[in-house]
Amino acid sequence: MNEYIPYIIFGVTSGAVFGISAMGLVLTYKTSGVFNIAHGAVCAAGAYVFYSLRQQADLPWPVAAALVVCVFGPLMGIVLERLAVAFSGVPTAFKIVGTVGLLVALQSLITLIYGSTSRVFDPFLPQGEAFSVSGTKVNYEQVIILLLGFAAAGALVTFFRLSRLGTAMRGVVDDPALLDLTGDSPTRVRRYAWIIGSSFAAMSGVLFASTQAQIDVNVLTLLVVQAFGAATIARFQSLPLCIVGGIVVGLLQKLVSKEITAYPDLQGLDLATPFIVLFIGLLVIPRRKLVETGRQIRAKAVPPSRVPRPFRAAGYGTTLLVALAIPQLWFVGAHLPAYNQALTQVTLFVSLHLLVRTSGQISLCHFGFAAIGAIGLGHMQGYGMPFALAVIIGGLLCIPPALLIAIPAIRLSGLYLALATLGFGIMLAQFCYGKSYMFGFGSLATERPAGFSDDETYYYLLLGVAVASVIAVLVIERSRLGRVLRGLSDSPVALQTLGLSVNVARVIVFCISGFMAGISGALYGSLFGSVSASTFNYVNSLVILAVLAISGRRVMSAAIVAPVLLYVIPNYIGDPDMNTMLQMAFGLAAMFAAANAQGGWDVPFTRLAERSSDRLRGPAEARLRRLEAHDGPSDKAQPVHGPRVPVTR
Amino acid sequence: MTLVLENLAAGYGGTTVLRGINLVVPPSSVVALLGANGAGKTTLLRVASGLLKPSAGRIHLEGRDVTGSSPHQLVRRGVCHVPEGRGVFPSLTVRENLVLQSVAGNESDAIARAVSAFPRLGERLSQLAGTMSGGEQQMLALARAYIQSPRLILLDEVSMGLAPKIVDEIFEFLAMLAQSGASLLLVEQYVTRALEVADFVYLINRGEIAFAGEPSELDAADVFKAYVGVGL
Repeated sequence: MNEYIPYIIFGVTSGAVFGISAMGLVLTYKTSGVFNIAHGAVCAAGAYVFYSLRQQADLPWPVAAALVVCVFGPLMGIVLERLAVAFSGVPTAFKIVGTVGLLVALQSLITLIYGSTSRVFDPFLPQGEAFSVSGTKVNYEQVIILLLGFAAAGALVTFFRLSRLGTAMRGVVDDPALLDLTGDSPTRVRRYAWIIGSSFAAMSGVLFASTQAQIDVNVLTLLVVQAFGAATIARFQSLPLCIVGGIVVGLLQKLVSKEITAYPDLQGLDLATPFIVLFIGLLVIPRRKLVETGRQIRAKAVPPSRVPRPFRAAGYGTTLLVALAIPQLWFVGAHLPAYNQALTQVTLFVSLHLLVRTSGQISLCHFGFAAIGAIGLGHMQGYGMPFALAVIIGGLLCIPPALLIAIPAIRLSGLYLALATLGFGIMLAQFCYGKSYMFGFGSLATERPAGFSDDETYYYLLLGVAVASVIAVLVIERSRLGRVLRGLSDSPVALQTLGLSVNVARVIVFCISGFMAGISGALYGSLFGSVSASTFNYVNSLVILAVLAISGRRVMSAAIVAPVLLYVIPNYIGDPDMNTMLQMAFGLAAMFAAANAQGGWDVPFTRLAERSSDRLRGPAEARLRRLEAHDGPSDKAQPVHGPRVPVTR
Repeated sequence: MTLVLENLAAGYGGTTVLRGINLVVPPSSVVALLGANGAGKTTLLRVASGLLKPSAGRIHLEGRDVTGSSPHQLVRRGVCHVPEGRGVFPSLTVRENLVLQSVAGNESDAIARAVSAFPRLGERLSQLAGTMSGGEQQMLALARAYIQSPRLILLDEVSMGLAPKIVDEIFEFLAMLAQSGASLLLVEQYVTRALEVADFVYLINRGEIAFAGEPSELDAADVFKAYVGVGL
């Protein structure tokens, strides 16, 4: 029993940190209905600000901690509340895209300032021995963190029970409009919720960095995964249960890490614990207890293109001609491999487009599917299988995991599918990539098909595959399945009254999309003769979603714009800092695109236009009239009455 | 308190529900707003309390233009809207509901007032509002119209779905509110009962005011026509 004690102590301590983080996450989700995938990035930002204040600006730690929790956290909360308002009017899929954009932007910003390598984080809490449990010493830091966790939970519970603001926060969860009618502004109440949530996030980030004694943006961003593991146990509802959930996840993680030392095959399983907890939670928690918070908003159909059909056809024809001529063009030259990369990703982007735009579902693990495809190719080629068959098997290998994720999550709703895919992608990266059945420790050898070793000839083969996959998606969109999916976004009730099963269609499209992602991964893997785990970093799954969001609303635009943005342009830039900035721009643009998914920006723009037209009737018109009285009437001085544009919401 | 709606239009999304509405609620009077399902009664109340921004027209409260104010700002000006359905927070206790209904800093006094108006609530202060009976929930929702001492009360079908005995109790309560000097704008399904207490009546038909005047000027045929859409 004694050998378990250190693990239990570490588990409980880190669990308390997860619990604090999860409380912030659940509080903001419940009050605003926006699940912040970037919660971990907020934790990371808090930790880095603390690091700068304490280790770079040499402030004493209590000052640094106070600044982070009482100034940085609230400021962040105020910004996030505004963002949540912008995302409140869009379908769940785009709420997730928006917060994914925030994650990408924040992570790039941190990388830009501090670099992507981890730094030493000096522990600041006292390290002396507080007491010992059967020979294992427990230091003050661990005691303080645990007490902080429980104190935070206790304070929140008291706050919600006894204070008026806390009561109003619970009221806003029940019925924001009614709260407004009783005299409390829901916006103000939500702002305080975000302030508390962000301060908790910042605090948990600092504590987490301190327990790890290092600060690493990628590790800290993952704190959101531990937090949603803990939040699952709290059913995304109960705040006090978050701290319990956090401790359960923390304990499980450490105990698993102890047990698996004897089994190399299971190495890394401890890191996947939160995902497993989430997955079991999604399976066993009754559906009625996991209702999504907030208004459910149906996606608006994409308006018909304003460009007349002949022009569009001509445009696509020209694009195809340019694509055919690419290897010969003067500006391509040594950049051709980047074009090849981009072409392999066309399949990935159209598959994601099919999922996100057509069926309104989200996958945060598409690069994980791509990795499975690449591994399939590598291993099958290792058995001497021909190229085409190996690629298809790579794609087929994605279907079982796609089914495994989609079935339990689709039972619930879009948000939980997104969480399940995010968790799956991360588990794949942390647990599976290093195993011999995937990439192993080194890299996996792959081959191009015979006769295509030259980049230029391979370019044409890849172009053919890309065109084929675009056509495949267009056909699916026009097929019965596509009609069902489009009908789903128009009126799910109408579909059900027609007797069509919606969930089967959703699962099918998820599997098709996973299959295509696998194909794209296999092609990508074949480009350079070998693939390794670092090629398929899970963060890329988030980046591609952000890029897709800004690449227009149609299949063709997604197929053309997105790969160019993500692969060709960075290749020309070359400078890594510039590329990080570009990635940050993708994140910011994705947030903007998500907020605008239902034409959200039309409202402020129309207001502005209306105000400008009012101005002509107001002081401007008066000025014009004065001019007229002075100079006599002139043609120029005729007041122009702009049409009054009604603001519709 | 005087409420004046001037040439008001409002709707949801691209749909216009109300157009060209002119309506006055004079001080210390009861105004009944009658009309068929979908005529726009609830929408009109939502606009008057700020829940819905009008697409055209003005809202004046005691001569002050309050168009575009949010509901909580109007609450501070003395407007109280008891919405359709049960206007309570179901997962909060009765006491917590009353706390939110009261003015900050004045909570215990407010609870005492609510209990004096509806003694039944006093027995249930720590019960979750959502677990009470429909009548009790409506009493809790109406308590707001008393403890905030509002000067304009908008009531949206507060008697809907309740037992006749409780409806009597609610109408007694409304009469008491009217006597206290507040103005009432009443949307009701019990047309005759509403006309009994009303000083003025508006008939609304397909988003437009079809009749405005005193209840005595209104005959049953007009009411029937407004509800059914055809004459007798």
